[in-house]
Amino acid sequence: MTGPGVRAAALVAALLAYPFVDKALGFQTVHAVSDGMIYVLLALGLNIVVGYAGLLDLGYAAFFAIGAYAMGLLNSPVLGSPLYGYAWSFWLCIWLAAAVSALLGVVIGAPTLRVRGDYLAIITLGFGEIIPVAIRNLGDITVDIGGWRPIERLNLTGGENGVNPIGRPYLPGVPFETDPVPWYFLILIIGAASLWSMNRLRDSRLGRAWMAIREDETAADCTGVNPISTKLLAFALGASFSGFAGSVYAAKLQAITPGAFEFQVSIMLLCMVVLGGAGSLKGVILGGMLITVFDRVVLTQTTFMVRAAGRAAGVAALTTADLTLWRWFFFGLGLVLVMLLRPEGLAGRRVRPVAVGADDADDPMVLEPPPAPRAEAIPRWLRDRAPRGAATDPRAPILDVRGVVKQFGGVVALNEVDLLVPHGAIIGLIGPNGAGKTTFFNVVTGLIRPDGGRIMLAGASLAGLRPNAIVALGVARTFQSIRLFPQMTVLENVLVGEHCRLAATVAGAVLRPPAVRAEESRARARAHELLAFTGLGDKADELARNLPYGDQRRLEIGRALATEPRLLLLDEPTAGMNPRETEALTELIGLLRRELSLSVLLIEHDMEVVMGISDRITVLDYGTRIAEGTPAEIQRHPKVIEAYLGTGGEQDLAARDRSR
Amino acid sequence: MSWWEVLVQQTINGLTRGAVFALIALGYTMVYGIIELINFAHGDVFMLGLFISLAWFALLGVTTTLTGWQLLTLLPLVFVLTMLTTAALNVAIDRVAYRPLRRSTRLAPLITAIGVSFMLENVALLWKGPAPIAYPDVFPSVDILREWFGVDSAIFVTTKDMLVVGATIPLMVALHYFVSRTRWGKAMRATAQDRETAQAMGIDVERTILMTFFVGGALAGAAGLIQGMYYNIGMWWMGYQAGLRAFTAAVLGGIGSMPGAALGGLFIGFLSAWSDQYISARWTNALVFAILILVLVFRPQGLMGERSAEKI
Repeated sequence: MTGPGVRAAALVAALLAYPFVDKALGFQTVHAVSDGMIYVLLALGLNIVVGYAGLLDLGYAAFFAIGAYAMGLLNSPVLGSPLYGYAWSFWLCIWLAAAVSALLGVVIGAPTLRVRGDYLAIITLGFGEIIPVAIRNLGDITVDIGGWRPIERLNLTGGENGVNPIGRPYLPGVPFETDPVPWYFLILIIGAASLWSMNRLRDSRLGRAWMAIREDETAADCTGVNPISTKLLAFALGASFSGFAGSVYAAKLQAITPGAFEFQVSIMLLCMVVLGGAGSLKGVILGGMLITVFDRVVLTQTTFMVRAAGRAAGVAALTTADLTLWRWFFFGLGLVLVMLLRPEGLAGRRVRPVAVGADDADDPMVLEPPPAPRAEAIPRWLRDRAPRGAATDPRAPILDVRGVVKQFGGVVALNEVDLLVPHGAIIGLIGPNGAGKTTFFNVVTGLIRPDGGRIMLAGASLAGLRPNAIVALGVARTFQSIRLFPQMTVLENVLVGEHCRLAATVAGAVLRPPAVRAEESRARARAHELLAFTGLGDKADELARNLPYGDQRRLEIGRALATEPRLLLLDEPTAGMNPRETEALTELIGLLRRELSLSVLLIEHDMEVVMGISDRITVLDYGTRIAEGTPAEIQRHPKVIEAYLGTGGEQDLAARDRSR
Repeated sequence: MSWWEVLVQQTINGLTRGAVFALIALGYTMVYGIIELINFAHGDVFMLGLFISLAWFALLGVTTTLTGWQLLTLLPLVFVLTMLTTAALNVAIDRVAYRPLRRSTRLAPLITAIGVSFMLENVALLWKGPAPIAYPDVFPSVDILREWFGVDSAIFVTTKDMLVVGATIPLMVALHYFVSRTRWGKAMRATAQDRETAQAMGIDVERTILMTFFVGGALAGAAGLIQGMYYNIGMWWMGYQAGLRAFTAAVLGGIGSMPGAALGGLFIGFLSAWSDQYISARWTNALVFAILILVLVFRPQGLMGERSAEKI
């Protein structure tokens, strides 16, 4: 057996033996440990929302409450549930509770997830406050409208008194009533199953989408990930795990009251996630255990010790000290210290500092020239996909933009702009800074809604489509200021690009049927081929943020290619590159067009590149198209020369832009 | 009481509550305007302001109702001392917990703010104990309608109501003057609009942020003192709830906008007083949070603010 195998076996043995050892030694800690495990399970659910999807949830205890109350109300005689009293009740209700929690996760999430990060945090806090208030008040509803009482003393939730008793699980011969050990194993099984599925979710199409949203929502949207549905899934799945935890908690405690689900519980769970390391399963378990032990053991034991010391030293103040009163002080201090000193948490991936000079493209120490792109290195699958675009009428333009208008306040950023990209063409888009070039890209990719005009992709209108839907139709882009997913690996960045061409669902990601396995290994093989083609083959497992500048540019193009585009929008791809890198990239763009008949729309300030590679060029100035034609025509065009230099010649023009 | 007397009374209650919310909300909105941080601990600075003012009164030997000349000397002195203390506290919080995270993600300082909030609440709990504490009746309470005008009405307007209005309005006028007419104020407005450009124009951005926390903390301290003198009670947990209501007020008025925060505070004051009367005090919190959520989802720029586009 290998090292990790031995360690895993030892861990399993310890977990299985623990309750019996505890019993033999008479420690009676099984109850407390089981309760602690419920909180760890909750923290793991919260980790999906906070750690994976990067959504700060300050009201997660609300979902815990919903899970517990779903179990409480469905499986209790207090409010007369018809499900109470059967042997199978608990086993059915636990699933119902998870479903109800997930459903409420969607209901709460759907309208709120468009909101920006810190506002979303406050909204979740608001829900976290409303739910206990509602539970308290719905125990005794009287509607009194001027003496008319359509509803009088209606009890929906048990109010302040809570729900008691709650039906226990039933298994033949297992004493759930009297013994804590079966509870321990029940929670252990649920915890292990949850951990197993979370582990699989993280390494799936969905897990990568969550992390992409966390890293850069706009870039993820423009790479084909639907931010709304991805976030909703995080909310719903996070909530469903708390549904399991809540229902077991309710059945184990036999009584639930609204006080158990206050804001402090949400913050304690957040402490567990942040302390251990948001996004790391091991870290969250570690954080959860540390906080539980600290809360239940360290504080009480230290209090005893301080009091004993006080008595010994004769200090009266110490003999009555109660450190458990400092509980929330320490939790608060913990949050502050972790964020200040080790924001990635105790077990999180330590982020290496970016290598010195890595973003200095002109660094003379970079001896290795970028690899020249080779036609035979183009991944086969990308070639196979290529004719798909051509299958439509090859004479039809891939992109046809007519009369697009966009105003920001009083500024006309785009004024009746027309632009045509014929199939398989490379079109240059140039103009002075602030001419509206990037705004034009944002309009075409759906980030900005135009005020007028129409945009047709191969004959179909793109009006009103979200960026990720436009990516799915075959438009990919890069950004002027590189927008990778910095804390994900190079390989994962490309895999996110493939997201919209993959089909795995939540169930597929967890259960991994053969079709999903095949899809996943195919996706990885393709990503590796793409990386080899873009010259990043040996850097697949590096974090994107640690790549040197030129590599980041190429990775962004690789990620765009992974979406299998028909039209590629490149926003200043050679900006900040040295001449050799620029040359290699220019070759790459030409190669893509020749071999894959990919259409390219290119914003570029390097006139040598733009004039050399473009079939036709459109020139924007102050949001208006001032010229359109072949490179030779553009170089002679008086309006273009005027826009760039006032007066002067094209030689100066090219020279100025090279030195930029 | 007739129905209109109830309404007038609750509206007066709403006005005094709202004045306190407005003072707290100004601190939220100023800090958010300048560093885009929801300063979660701000409500607890308000709560500590109440306890600190109590300590200053005790230090000055005030335990009973102030009279005549004391009102003109001791009361302003306690206002100044309390405001300086909470201002210093707020600046210290920024230095320790937020400043090291200026270049971090947006959520990192929000998490530390929550941590600081818990620490402050715990400090107050240990300092004053878990039970609500009585705040001495230092400000004279005179039933104005009956005593001064001889009008017999079911409506109560006391000198304490006058105190709330009389203290809040000068503070807001002073703040307005400070922000719109002084160099510091100009630096604040410039930094709020564009930190880099402000820096390039020679504004010391960190000192400007410090000043923002200073002013916000001072206003929270004043609010704590007013709250204590008006209601004669203080609890260690009151900062959380007051803070969230004040934050709702700031969001409602358009976060970053100072007139918006003042009006939002008044609105939340009226609303909570009316809700206590006409719906049920049990539901008031839920109502305020529902409004907060609805505004954030459907009109995040607030009722009066302008929509600002995110940079792509």
